[in-house]
Amino acid sequence: MASQTSLHPHKDDGAVHAHISSSAFYVAVFMALIALTVLTVGQSYVDLGRLNLIVVILIATTKASLVVSFFMHLRYDNKFNALIFISCIFFIGVFFAYTMNDTERRGELDGDQNVRVLPKTGEDAPGGFVPHAASSGGEHGAAPTGSGAAPAHH
Amino acid sequence: MSSEATANAEEHAHDDHGHHGPKWLAHHFDTPAQQFDAAKLGMWVFLAQELLFFSGLFVAYGVYRSWYPEMFVAASHQLDKIMGGTNTIVLLFSSFTAAMAVRSSQLGKQKATGNYILITIFCACVFLVIKYFEYTHKFHAGLLPGRFFHPHAEHLVAGAPALPANTGSFFSIYFMMTGVHGVHVVIGIGVLIWIWIRNNRGEFSKEFFTPVDIVALYWHLVDLVWIYLFPLLYLI
Repeated sequence: MASQTSLHPHKDDGAVHAHISSSAFYVAVFMALIALTVLTVGQSYVDLGRLNLIVVILIATTKASLVVSFFMHLRYDNKFNALIFISCIFFIGVFFAYTMNDTERRGELDGDQNVRVLPKTGEDAPGGFVPHAASSGGEHGAAPTGSGAAPAHH
Repeated sequence: MSSEATANAEEHAHDDHGHHGPKWLAHHFDTPAQQFDAAKLGMWVFLAQELLFFSGLFVAYGVYRSWYPEMFVAASHQLDKIMGGTNTIVLLFSSFTAAMAVRSSQLGKQKATGNYILITIFCACVFLVIKYFEYTHKFHAGLLPGRFFHPHAEHLVAGAPALPANTGSFFSIYFMMTGVHGVHVVIGIGVLIWIWIRNNRGEFSKEFFTPVDIVALYWHLVDLVWIYLFPLLYLI
């Protein structure tokens, strides 16, 4: 199961036949990485509003792809190693999605569920909250009382 | 893993197992290619673990940045883009020299391999020195994690936005992310020195360069993490 078996004539000799890139190619990859670094620093002086974060992540991911594909040889490596790497990225995505699906939505469904949850801290989660006698709990969209830390964008 | 493999190879080279492979080929592998693929597979599983390990910090960053966007902008102004940018270029260059070290090793050029590894180690040290100056400034300015956050106005960047009271949580994330990354740089210097010594002993050849390849993979991962840390912390 040598890597590159299909590309190499001596596929059965059991020796290691790794892809060897030229020096000029590595220099080109390095120059591209520097150019992208300059680009991302330059971009930081221009306010694109909500696009800022997206542009930053796109540039960083392009740089990361160059490093992984060529410096780390994944482009020419055994495909199973690429599968491990891609699955890892997928599960990082799952980690982000499930966590932020919670942290970004705390307090949104309070009215529907007849509970109140303090945004951010998640205190008094559904099922564990006894409304104060003074408040008329259950109103749709009722702002949580006593949570001075309510985020501005909610 | 490769040291064990070498140790096994050496151990069995001296007894009569009917094993006639090269010294560096562990006796439980049939061919050099099989040993090489096994080593690379193991390393990629380890790198996946490393990324998942770092992802916890990145998720914490995402949650807090989304909750306190203005605080993150204000805190980020206290970080030095020039120092961070210089460190980015230093690490990218060290990643390039690490890739060149592997290439030289693949071609059997022992001296060039050693020199490229030395340049990589030197860049890693430069990175840590710059990081030391950055940390020192943070300590002096009182830009510290959590409840230790007590900014001294005279040490802060002039003209930057005012720092909200909860800015300590940004610096908790900043010090954890850069600190854990810095620990990886220190470990990287250690394994690079180890591989440099082994290269000097002439243990590697066109046929057997696996340890150089594996250590370079680790070093590229350190670079990979920094590629995201730099814009996310310094360039908000």
